[in-house]
Amino acid sequence: MRSAFSSLTLFACLAAIPLSAQDGEQLYTLYCSACHGADGKGATGGAFPPLAGSPWIHGNPKRAAAIVLHGLNGPIDVNGKSYNLEMPPQGAVLSDDQIMTILNFVNTSWGNKGEKVQRDLIRVTRSEYQSRTGPWTAPELLKLYPLPVQETALSDLTSKVYKGQWNQVPDFDKIQAENIEEEHHGLLKVSISGMKDHFGIVWEGKFNAPEEAEYTFVIDADDGARLTINGQALALVKNTGPMNGSRAATGKIKLTKGAHPLRVDYFQANGNMGISLRWQKAGDKDWNWLSDKSSAAKDGAPSIPLIPVDGKTVIYRNFIEGTTPRGIGFGFPGGLNLVYSADHLAPELVWTGDFMDAGRHWTNRGQGNQPPSGSEVIKLTNTRFLPAEARFKGYSLDSRGNPTFKVSIGKATLTDSWKTGNDGSLVRTLTLDGGAPINVPHGNTEVTGSESTTLTPGKAATVTYKLK
Amino acid sequence: MRSLLFLAATIASGFSQTQSDYYLREPIPLPPGEIMEISSIALMPDEKVAVATRRGDVWICSGAYGDDLSKVTWKKFAHGLHEPLGMFEKNGSLYMTQRPEFSRIQDTDKDGTADVFETINSDWGINGDYHEYAFGTSPDKNGDLWIALCLTGSFHAHSDWRGWALRITPDGKMIPTCSGLRSPGGIGFNAEGDVFYTDNQGVWNGSSSLKWLKPGSFQGNPTGNKFHKLANLPAPPEPENKSRVLAEHLKHPTYIPPAVVFPHGKVGQSPTGIEPDLSKGKFGPWINQVYVGEQTHSQVQRVYLEQVNGIYQGAVFHLLDGFEAGLIPIKLDQEKGILFAGGSNRGWASRGNKPFNFERVKWTGKTPFEILTMQATPDGFNLTFTEPVDESSASNPASYSMEAWTYILQKDYGSPEVDKATPVIKSATVSADKKSVRLSIEGLVRGHVHHLKSNGVKSKAGQSLWHKEAFYTLNEIPAK
Repeated sequence: MRSAFSSLTLFACLAAIPLSAQDGEQLYTLYCSACHGADGKGATGGAFPPLAGSPWIHGNPKRAAAIVLHGLNGPIDVNGKSYNLEMPPQGAVLSDDQIMTILNFVNTSWGNKGEKVQRDLIRVTRSEYQSRTGPWTAPELLKLYPLPVQETALSDLTSKVYKGQWNQVPDFDKIQAENIEEEHHGLLKVSISGMKDHFGIVWEGKFNAPEEAEYTFVIDADDGARLTINGQALALVKNTGPMNGSRAATGKIKLTKGAHPLRVDYFQANGNMGISLRWQKAGDKDWNWLSDKSSAAKDGAPSIPLIPVDGKTVIYRNFIEGTTPRGIGFGFPGGLNLVYSADHLAPELVWTGDFMDAGRHWTNRGQGNQPPSGSEVIKLTNTRFLPAEARFKGYSLDSRGNPTFKVSIGKATLTDSWKTGNDGSLVRTLTLDGGAPINVPHGNTEVTGSESTTLTPGKAATVTYKLK
Repeated sequence: MRSLLFLAATIASGFSQTQSDYYLREPIPLPPGEIMEISSIALMPDEKVAVATRRGDVWICSGAYGDDLSKVTWKKFAHGLHEPLGMFEKNGSLYMTQRPEFSRIQDTDKDGTADVFETINSDWGINGDYHEYAFGTSPDKNGDLWIALCLTGSFHAHSDWRGWALRITPDGKMIPTCSGLRSPGGIGFNAEGDVFYTDNQGVWNGSSSLKWLKPGSFQGNPTGNKFHKLANLPAPPEPENKSRVLAEHLKHPTYIPPAVVFPHGKVGQSPTGIEPDLSKGKFGPWINQVYVGEQTHSQVQRVYLEQVNGIYQGAVFHLLDGFEAGLIPIKLDQEKGILFAGGSNRGWASRGNKPFNFERVKWTGKTPFEILTMQATPDGFNLTFTEPVDESSASNPASYSMEAWTYILQKDYGSPEVDKATPVIKSATVSADKKSVRLSIEGLVRGHVHHLKSNGVKSKAGQSLWHKEAFYTLNEIPAK
């Protein structure tokens, strides 16, 4: 009896501890630290967004409450570094008290000086977004609760917008600008033009160097841009192309303490657009951003170009833009490339030049399709031409990594072999070991010279794809 | 004097038990400069170990069993595969579950690298979303392979058979087998050869758990239910939102409740690979139990399973800690009693702060004082221990405490612990051989996780339990 009583008392004590009495650090450790890090710097050396020193804790505290309640999906920029992850919603797991306690812990830890959050704010935010079903995106939240404006090292910034069509940075001084505006935020934003294609912007301002030192600047653009400081052309992003880090240009300059004239000449051809400019002082670890961070988010994934080694093909099996999810890419030595679709049982893309960049899929969670690295990708067919019973049976590689794809069609087997020719061409050899003859469409008469090949059982057929 | 010293030493060790007393965890050196985010481990003949990586490479490791791990060598066997999550060796071929297909890979010209990549089955859908993972097993007792398909993102099933478990027969036919999956982190067998998978906390999943893939069963998440029409299968149940697992299981008998819930945060956050212990004691006394990898907390848990009224249930205990990255696959060499573990923290952070790891764990031969098994009885639990217990502490009900709770079954993400109860331990009866204790408990709650803390229990030698906590999911209370 006595022992039963004592265990009862123990239970009563345990049960009497209300959840709200848990301290913020405990709750943070349990629910947040796996990703944001025990030190708030983002777990695993900063692979996850930091909360320490994050501007996202400043401004309207409903922003942070909304994120905890419903989660956040997709690209987000924190202090100039972009992340593309999915934070799971915690609204169904955590009570208002627990969320308040966690936010107050975050807002007062690691040097953070965020606003104190009241319980009512969590309650109100919860009811305000009660009907919400999916996670937030960063742009959605920034529209509702913008980040407080931070001062940059750029002052007296102006922008001039030009209309025109260029494929390299033109001499804007010889062209009449459409307008000129002051940019009080000290940030370069291409969105100020209000245009989508064929325009240019020249930004001019003063870069305020905090002390005498050597400074490094990195500029990237979609499409081209030039950075000039103290009248000296420092870095140039040439021609046209994407802003993914692969074309970024770096320049170094020694500056005295104080203001130095800075100028950026930028042009957009068509399609995607963006400018990114960052700087650091010699010896610094972190970068300071002078550009619109939402456009900087585009250079999040590092470049991991795949190249053939030892004279053998390089293979990339992942989500490739322009074909189906079961695309299999082959980069042949000599700069000829092929994607075969194991869904459509046919070659779908061929191109020359660089093969694939694996940066998107081999960092973070790997969301999205990656376009081939070549600038002129030739689309062949994009539908399935074989009967429904046809099945992909895989591929084999010869000693140089040249592939032979196999497809079963009932009891017959179609083999589809690829290798490079002598004249910048890909040579395709098809065989069929039974069944009825098949008409194999080529999809692009310009590179093959004909519409299709009729394949009869027992007789190999060869198609040459002239790419260079 | 000598015995006093011995006693003092024992008591001291009772307060300072460390994992290395019982298990030796050793990182296996990886090929320099390579990104080895290990996604699959396959044991090969001649003490070789094959690993696949999330980037799609396959490497073969020699020397992973050796005493001197600095002599380990690696050979790259293949590249260009699509994130293989499940791989095994059979008759000289490597078989693997890639995102888009189940494949057989061979080195036909014996030059040490793969040259034939045969597609055995690719009849399920993928659409390019990163979340559409496919986890595969080794062959089951009938020779079939099992594949667990993640949903599209967290909330959708945009591609065929997402949220289902499939079987692939030896002749390459696909048999959709179970519905209701959300986000598998691993799939494997228990000692009896029944199939289990780990499902991660989220939508329609109050907490992560180990679930039994009984053929024809529904696992609780209705997102992929529509696909039953593709194969003229009966429609899976549509559980009611904001209900409880037990209530829905009683309404829908094909809804098999999670065998063992891993309470979120308390027992990891992202369970992954599953491996039974068939080593007959070579990896410690956990004969026929199941090990489960853990990505976020970089751990291995131990699970005791039993069947009551035809439903699996049981207890999860902490076992191994401190791995260098988030674990994805684990593989136990059942002959030699060596556990291989590997993983990555890309995309999902882990306590182990290296980006990837490959490690082996050996039992030192020293048995920790632990609860070996926890079986449900009509009025409580029967605990067996790895060592004889000290009768006075083990028979005192105050040496134990218990809380019980369940989770909301809902379309929201996760759930708090709800319907809390505090079952009362009325008596603790030590068996004649001192190796087991029968707990008589008032207030067991069917369907709840029962969290037992045995803080006061000592072994006959005066040792406290290495792990004092157990979490038993009481799906069924046995009648006798």
